[in-house]
Amino acid sequence: MARKGFKRNFPPLEILSKEDVEQIKKSTLDILKETGMTIEHKGALKMLEKNGCIVNYDTFRVRFPEGLVNECINRCPPSFRVKARDPKDDIIFGGNSVYFKAGPGMDIANVRTGEHRIATKQEYIDAVRVLDALENVDWFSCYTPYFGYMNVPEVMKMTMGFVQDIKYSTKITGLGFANYNWDFNFRIAKIAGTEVMCPAFMVSSPLTLSEFAVEVGFKALEYDFSIGVDTGSVMGATAPATIAGAISEFNAELIAGIVLAQVKKPYCRVYVWGFPNPQNMRTGAPYFGNISGALFNVANNQIWRDYGIPCRNTAPLYTNSKLTDFQNGIERGIPAILSALSGASTINLHGGMYGEIAHSPIQAILDDDVAGMIGRFIEGVSVNDDTLALDLINSVGPVPGHFLDKKHTYNWWQKEQYTAKYADLLTYPEWERAGKKDCIYYAEEKLKKILAEHEVSIKLTEGQEKEINEVVKELYNFYLEKGDLSEKNDFNNY
Amino acid sequence: MKENIFDDLYKALINYDEVLVKNLAIESIKEGIDPIETISVLRKGISEIGDKFQKGEAWLPDLMLAAKTMEIGMGPLQNEIEAKGIKRSSLGKVVIGTVFGDLHSIGKGMVSTLISANGFEVVDLGINVDSKKFIDAIQKYNPDILAMSALLTTTAPEMERVIKAVNEAGIRNKIKIMVGGGSITQEFAERIGADGYEPTAVLAVSLAKKFLNIN
Repeated sequence: MARKGFKRNFPPLEILSKEDVEQIKKSTLDILKETGMTIEHKGALKMLEKNGCIVNYDTFRVRFPEGLVNECINRCPPSFRVKARDPKDDIIFGGNSVYFKAGPGMDIANVRTGEHRIATKQEYIDAVRVLDALENVDWFSCYTPYFGYMNVPEVMKMTMGFVQDIKYSTKITGLGFANYNWDFNFRIAKIAGTEVMCPAFMVSSPLTLSEFAVEVGFKALEYDFSIGVDTGSVMGATAPATIAGAISEFNAELIAGIVLAQVKKPYCRVYVWGFPNPQNMRTGAPYFGNISGALFNVANNQIWRDYGIPCRNTAPLYTNSKLTDFQNGIERGIPAILSALSGASTINLHGGMYGEIAHSPIQAILDDDVAGMIGRFIEGVSVNDDTLALDLINSVGPVPGHFLDKKHTYNWWQKEQYTAKYADLLTYPEWERAGKKDCIYYAEEKLKKILAEHEVSIKLTEGQEKEINEVVKELYNFYLEKGDLSEKNDFNNY
Repeated sequence: MKENIFDDLYKALINYDEVLVKNLAIESIKEGIDPIETISVLRKGISEIGDKFQKGEAWLPDLMLAAKTMEIGMGPLQNEIEAKGIKRSSLGKVVIGTVFGDLHSIGKGMVSTLISANGFEVVDLGINVDSKKFIDAIQKYNPDILAMSALLTTTAPEMERVIKAVNEAGIRNKIKIMVGGGSITQEFAERIGADGYEPTAVLAVSLAKKFLNIN
């Protein structure tokens, strides 16, 4: 058992020639060999030096030999399973599978007004339940749906959110890390009996890995979790403005993480992801939803297919729009379908509002339709005797013949046609009579239904809850001793 | 002669001609022109690019190139100011850094560059700066403003820790604190007790001026 996701049943979109792919891969190797990476972790430097890298301990600079790079890439499994609390929610990465994933936002968004504020605990739990219920949400990002909730100190927010995620959903979640919380978080995952998707060796572009990014990666490998190596190139700011140059640098950063992972624990499960966006030259923020970001993803999906390592695309989660409107749809929909066509293993899509500033369950519900539409598209056109329906066409013949009352239509139409669940599909007079309702209204109705009816498939046992609470208490005391909590609170109220 | 140099210097700055700006700065020193007066010409150029940016006629690369060009021109002028012991006034002093755990420097660099180009004295502590380093710098440089940056949602809470340390050091009332970065919002800034937040580097300059009641 595992989540079905969608299968792309035709060759992926390829926009680079074979020579282009080779040239970019060579540039990446040159960057790793000539400039290398700054890796601010002495243990990692020693390990890499022992494995043939040229290391400067004064500058923390590491230069990677081509042989080691290729060997480590070859150690990565092209496909692997990640286990959830409920086996129906396992994920099998790789091949032609395409999964959709919910993304985070710091606050809860009002999709009609664009206003956002910190979520209450109940709103956090409600949003997790919505994501658990949605058919096409296959797994969650880190700190999803929100970056914590009200009345929890900042340092505890990530962990407390994670606890609610595993309590109210059996889907696999990413796991964010900060301020030395990683060991506590990994222990919570183990108690709950779930694997997590660990964003490890998170590069600070250009070409730098912090001590804690390496520490998190090594710790995840100790716990035997899969590793999501990532970076966040911004074209024109932390990477060249040119797409080919940005991909070369982006991949050098990812491969440095792969080398760290595969030297530390050979044949470990690795996938790659990142945030490739152009710079918004007006505001200095990433330019979300820019078609160049999609172009980057399509080209890079082709390259990572060539490396044989699963690749996740994040761009479709983000929009510059503060509302659920035309701009939101176009800035997210187009990159999402291009990612699916070009072979991304996972596409970040559900719930994101304006970068990581906000998340909305209403937006997530609407996005579930987008995932459904794209999923239907990539499943392609099935051609066989039954779908060609030659006998049927011949038997129906010209007008007044029709197909509406035929068993073949009954059997096939719902497989062939994706019917949007939350779109307004009424005729104009019906729409007027029904009070001119829009897709947001239908999503709001779905939200009410989920909250009234949905239950997580496997609840945590009392014993698990107690053990998790003990770890939370330990983390709380750790921060208290460290001086990160200004006053004693009752953490049971978190 | 002075008018010609100033005219050429202004044009060179708004065309981002780093070599010419430096040569003209040196020429102005040789001609015995007051370096403070020459700097004001460079500032006029920066202001023009800033105005164009506000009108949507220039972009961030224009602003950054202009600021970099100015910085190159400032090199010899600054040497001259120090050699002659001329007192140079600044609009105020800013200590700036990216918080601990965060290695992102671009946004912080933009703010640092633009604030400096607009006449503030800037002490840039770099990236991955912990609360102790911030406190030490405040005590050493006695700034008017502390500016902190964090790109990541995971590192933003570090700002709260720095503000707490500033409070505990008993120096909170001596400085204004501004925060910014990809993961920061107005609500977050208020929640952690910062005095101000702006979403862009250009607006951060306005905020710094507002803090010090400069028009």
